[in-house]
Amino acid sequence: MRISTSIYLKTKGRPHYLIALFALAISLFISQPLWAQTPAFTVSGKISSTMGETLPGVSVSVKGGQNVTTSDANGSYKITLSSQTATLVFSYVGFKSLEVPVSNRTSINVQLVEDSKALDDVVVVAYGSTTQRSSTGALQTVNAKELQDIPAAQITQKLQGKLAGVQINQASGKPGQGLQVRIRGGASISTGAGPLYVVDGFPIAGDISNINPDEIENITVLKDAASTSLYGSRAAFGVVVVTTKAAKSGQTNISASVYTGTQQVPQKGRPDMMNGTEWAQFKKEYYEDLGQPVPVPLQNPTQYGEGYDWYDAMLRSAPLTNYSISLNTNKENFSSSIVAGYFKQDGVLLNSGYERFSVRLNSLFKVNDQIKVGFNLAPTHTVNNSPSTDGMFFGGGGLINNALLTPPVLNYQNPDGSYPVTVTTAGITAFPTPNWVRSIQDITNKSKDNRILSNGYVEYEPISKLVLKSSINVDFAQSLFHSFQPSTASRAFASTPSPLSAGLFDSNYQYQSWLSENTVNYSKQINDHGFDVLAGFTKQKYRSDYSTISGSNYPDDRIETIAGALIKNNSTSDIQEWSLTSFLARLNYNYKGKYLFAASIRRDGSSRFGSANKWGNFPSVSAGWVLSQESFLRDLKLVSFFKIRGSYGVTGNNNIGNYTQYATVSSGVNSPFGSTTASGVAVTNLGNDVLGWETTKQLDLGIDLSILNNRINFTYDYYSKKTSDLLFSLAVPRESGFSSFTGNVGEIKFWGHEFAINSNNLVGKFKWNTNFNIAFSDNKVLALSSLSDRLYTGNGTARSITQVGQRIGQFWGLIQDGVYKDQADFNSSPKSVNSQVGTIKFRDLNGDGVIKYGDEEGDRTVIGNPFPKFVFGLTNSFTYKNFDFTVVASGSYGNDIARMMDEGTTNLDGVFNVLKEVKDRWRSPQNPGAGKYGKTTASTGDDRAQFHTRFVQDGSYLTIKNITLGYSLPVEKLKVLKSVRFYASIQQAFVFTNYDGINPEIGTDLNGNAPNSLSQGLDFSAYPVPRTFTFGLNVNFK
Amino acid sequence: MNKNIFWAIILMVSLGACKKGFLEIPAKTALSTPVFFKTESDFQQAINGAYAPLRGLYGGQNGAWAMGEQRSDNTTYKYNPNDRGSIQSEYIKDFTDDANNPVSANKYFTDYSIIARVNQVLEPIDGIDFGAASKNNIKGQAYFLRAFAYFDLVQYFGQVPLHLKPAKTLDETSLPLSSVENVYAQIIADAKQAATLLPNKASQEAGRATSGAAKTLLGNVYMVLKRWADAEAILKEVTGYSLVSDYNNVFNPSQKNNSESVFEIQYKEGNEGLSSNFFYTFLIQPISAAEITAITGIQEVPRTIQGFNLPTPDIIAAYEANDKRKDASIGYLTAGGVSYPYIKKYSHPHAVTNNTNDNWPVYRYAEVLLFLAEAVNEQNRPGDALTYLNMVRANPRTGLTASLASGQTAVRDAIQNERRVELAFENKRWPDLVRTGKADEVMKAFGIRFKANPLNYYFPAGITPSPASYTNIRLLFPIPASEVALNPYF
Repeated sequence: MRISTSIYLKTKGRPHYLIALFALAISLFISQPLWAQTPAFTVSGKISSTMGETLPGVSVSVKGGQNVTTSDANGSYKITLSSQTATLVFSYVGFKSLEVPVSNRTSINVQLVEDSKALDDVVVVAYGSTTQRSSTGALQTVNAKELQDIPAAQITQKLQGKLAGVQINQASGKPGQGLQVRIRGGASISTGAGPLYVVDGFPIAGDISNINPDEIENITVLKDAASTSLYGSRAAFGVVVVTTKAAKSGQTNISASVYTGTQQVPQKGRPDMMNGTEWAQFKKEYYEDLGQPVPVPLQNPTQYGEGYDWYDAMLRSAPLTNYSISLNTNKENFSSSIVAGYFKQDGVLLNSGYERFSVRLNSLFKVNDQIKVGFNLAPTHTVNNSPSTDGMFFGGGGLINNALLTPPVLNYQNPDGSYPVTVTTAGITAFPTPNWVRSIQDITNKSKDNRILSNGYVEYEPISKLVLKSSINVDFAQSLFHSFQPSTASRAFASTPSPLSAGLFDSNYQYQSWLSENTVNYSKQINDHGFDVLAGFTKQKYRSDYSTISGSNYPDDRIETIAGALIKNNSTSDIQEWSLTSFLARLNYNYKGKYLFAASIRRDGSSRFGSANKWGNFPSVSAGWVLSQESFLRDLKLVSFFKIRGSYGVTGNNNIGNYTQYATVSSGVNSPFGSTTASGVAVTNLGNDVLGWETTKQLDLGIDLSILNNRINFTYDYYSKKTSDLLFSLAVPRESGFSSFTGNVGEIKFWGHEFAINSNNLVGKFKWNTNFNIAFSDNKVLALSSLSDRLYTGNGTARSITQVGQRIGQFWGLIQDGVYKDQADFNSSPKSVNSQVGTIKFRDLNGDGVIKYGDEEGDRTVIGNPFPKFVFGLTNSFTYKNFDFTVVASGSYGNDIARMMDEGTTNLDGVFNVLKEVKDRWRSPQNPGAGKYGKTTASTGDDRAQFHTRFVQDGSYLTIKNITLGYSLPVEKLKVLKSVRFYASIQQAFVFTNYDGINPEIGTDLNGNAPNSLSQGLDFSAYPVPRTFTFGLNVNFK
Repeated sequence: MNKNIFWAIILMVSLGACKKGFLEIPAKTALSTPVFFKTESDFQQAINGAYAPLRGLYGGQNGAWAMGEQRSDNTTYKYNPNDRGSIQSEYIKDFTDDANNPVSANKYFTDYSIIARVNQVLEPIDGIDFGAASKNNIKGQAYFLRAFAYFDLVQYFGQVPLHLKPAKTLDETSLPLSSVENVYAQIIADAKQAATLLPNKASQEAGRATSGAAKTLLGNVYMVLKRWADAEAILKEVTGYSLVSDYNNVFNPSQKNNSESVFEIQYKEGNEGLSSNFFYTFLIQPISAAEITAITGIQEVPRTIQGFNLPTPDIIAAYEANDKRKDASIGYLTAGGVSYPYIKKYSHPHAVTNNTNDNWPVYRYAEVLLFLAEAVNEQNRPGDALTYLNMVRANPRTGLTASLASGQTAVRDAIQNERRVELAFENKRWPDLVRTGKADEVMKAFGIRFKANPLNYYFPAGITPSPASYTNIRLLFPIPASEVALNPYF
């Protein structure tokens, strides 16, 4: 662990904060306080650890006095006292502080005991709290303080590499974009698989991406059923419990932090596209091979030199800044914590950026000894612009992809520095080619979001340890989205920018979610028996309203509202609602703190479930045995803590849409008759009145082991989850008039092993801490629907298969066997309908002599697995004197990525820029190339439109996520400042991978959006993740 | 003191919780079946909704033209080496399509979508009490649409599952294949019901199915089944129609549902999402904005995908020299500086690009007459046949003289030639080739011409057609692979 510099000092409650803040610079360098030296009595001695190491740098002070000293390199100290009956206080980070009465001694040697605080820290869990020592579940807590140096808008990004069994992928570097979080390989066939987020006890709708990380005190991830089942039908993919900063008792203080930095896209990983000369040569050969005359602009390829790098032209070095101030006040009956933050990140792609203003006020009133009333209020305002950068050239945006594909002989800029609207050039471009570098600057996709997250609660403790709590929680959010594409911009090839194609899309989305919770908690210790009982009743309701307006054909770009559109589309609106009523109960029991037992149950009733299936029960049991408390281990010095534990329970997934149980009669299915329009309706889906939740039964077996006086802490968990009644939008034969039926069918098993080690390697003057975690996971489909034992999923041309007996979402494609080299090869090989001499050749897997593309036709097989065999994280922290140094790494192993963007970047039609390696393609039997790419003159569709092995690459990686070097100023003697620390950090420092794409954490659909569980590992081109250099300052005032 | 407040809050919250129906929230943006199909208006809206899939069945990249017209020797595609993104209807043309083809899947899915919507209407309607005239009209339209959809299915796919009740559970979503005979029996039964229940054209809202449309459909069915006498009998009952004097106006959207129109797919220009875009689907591409504007006269954007359903040199040659219908059916435009033929029947003035008002003619009285000619000729009455034939051919609108063919064989050929030009680009050619047994012979010969000189068929220099094309002239299309994978009976 790094030295914690957040030692708070008092300001005596006076509003000096702001003055103090402004006076910071001055204060740093003045005021060398003096104090009286009255030599009377000297004590000296040596300080060591229980392991016998000498401890330098230990602070030695006199209780209630002013004298302070530190131990030297040999662990020796000497301190002068005014009284022989004083008490010395020895304190040292990572060790329990020790108070020793002097009692007239002049030599006092002490041994400091390492702090096993981690074991006894309060960990917030579902409807209560526990400690690692007494917990029987699988959970892991991260203190936000250890994440503070990572320059990121979101807490999830800061958590990368920190949590065992939690895969956090940054699929896109787009500012403000949420990250994909998967706990224990969480996946579902047709619903989202993100965890449930609980903020200060409130299960919120959506995620925590717009919460200022500086408001967060700590995060606990609940992984097994024992920890999560109290969240019932929403807990199947794990729960992330976020606790925000509350006022710390007895302290009134102020602290500020700021960091600023710059982001850049590294050269490594950028697609290796042809330069101007190479592309012109490629194009020249294309015409030669066709036997057509070479257009004049292509007759002399070398004239273009390097040409123009369109991708690079869209990139910039972009600044990022974060300011945060927190105030903490604490009066007798009232305490409050305020965190105000401002974060601004310009994107590394032009015209993209994210900005957040946030305030959180947490306050607590003690009405009397029995009643407490608390209010938390957290408004946030974010502004985000992202100009349609992600996804494929034929998808909904794809400016990055388009830029890569544009002939590099064309210039995106006029000699006068302005940007032309199009770069369509006869003889070079195959279709009208808008100027993407201009489009990215002119397109607006701006969302302005407001969110107020609030909790209010009353706690009443009529008798000791009996706590009745009632809370109201409200989450209110609004998102205004404004998208405008002026007449100078376009998102797609062949779509010429014009007033005709200029268009507007505005939407207004808002939701309210409110939750009322009433709980009773009673704990009692009777001799050696400890009891803790919880019962509760909760109700939650959610409603969202969504409306859109869109139009096109804008004669004047200056009018960006619907008023300016010549074609106004029908506006749309939609209302979504759900409600949830729940009962919950839990019993914790322990005997002598040695034998631990817990049982819990939640009963959920949901408006989403079918009328015949309204209520579900979600029980769990768990037990633990603290072996280290047993006599046979207690005396074993090596082992300081050893617990084995196990749990089993049931959780659910209710992400099935709000009205799926009903057979919907859709309106607006109109038909014209002659010149009149008749309003029509149609039954558009099959109802299902027994529709229910997806059930996950999870077994977890774990050990927690601390050895060498808690120097090394080790946690291991094995889990096995069986998810049944899969919520499944099951494809049904279209002969029914319907395409799908949402039901509960099938079963998938997930299992894995998680290891986490935290080791204080060195604890002396030079401290070194290592935190390593690794998680192995796998899955297998046990059953699917009665109609079919396999399920195909398509995304663009990518295909994946989920079939009984195998893993979910496997790449399903053809195997490339070179190209048809010559007529003899062609005659003797199996062929597809498109095959010719010189086209790509696939393997005839079913041996029927022909190549068929269909999923079921026998020539496809599993050609890749997007799920890693294991993911890992490694954090090393070093401190020496006032310096601290931390390196965070994370990675995955064994997963494949399908680089679907190759569908454009290896296109053989000669219309796009292509990868350099396309140079070695088949041109003639005498010049057959490297056997990877076929000829340009026919049937190039097989090359790119049939998903095959050429797209698939190894996606394993190791990323050095963050390197931070910090220095704490020695300000202990200053009056105003408590601590000051400077640091410099590099985020996304290095990426080690064999993957050829921009980002090995990729995973998008073809429009650049987050994919579902069955379409993982596809690279349809996304916003690059930049490398960020930052410099920061943390200041705590007295 | 504060205990009371605390309990008050608890009480308040708990009372809120007990509100009835907290867990029952029906959708607010759409209705659900338990509350629907209760009134006449509900059924009226449901039958209107059953027509809606027809627009997608005929229009768009996967429209009926791809299998009904472009599969034949009448039209082809323009091979665009710069954009191979819409290759699937080329496969249909080249006879290299398979069960994964989205074009044939579109026909299969859309026909069943119509059938399901009709079944939703037919099942409960007799249990709800409302006026007989209105109920009969709605039922008649439902039976017509069901017969129409199954006739489309059986002609293109052969055996198909026969759904006559709406699927309500997972098990009801699939049925085994019914024999072609059984499917036809159902089609005939439904068409007869429709012919009885529906009002005639004069008393029906323009554009909806009529008794005349039902009888024409039934006649068409008998023609395919070679039940010539039955065909003659029912087609003679198709009355109240006359040929439009100017062939151009047959397709003019300002004269939709005209006197010659028996049944046409209804489209409507504008921003309601009901418009057609045949002109743009059939437009040769790549083409510049200015070159399109030269035809449409409105502001256009360049189009760069591919051209479909372009008249072949074969159909152009099939018109007799003085046939006025040729210029009414085929025009010429310039794309990329080169002149190409295009289908003119669906090219009419409109306000906004890709948003046209053209209906699709399914049955015209001219075809009723040609059916009659064929039905009587096959009953060996070539003289009577010639009378019907010449009502179409020797009409002043064609500029042609009466056919002088004599003898059953010559008249048969004359009728088929007449059908080819009169009904060109109306999705009749391929089904005609199939039902007359000429498909294999005609298309193999076409394939030889095509491969021998791809440049004539709008291929660029240097590109050769797939060796596999035109080697296997299949008369039926495979049932989509995705259906086969899901239907446990297949």
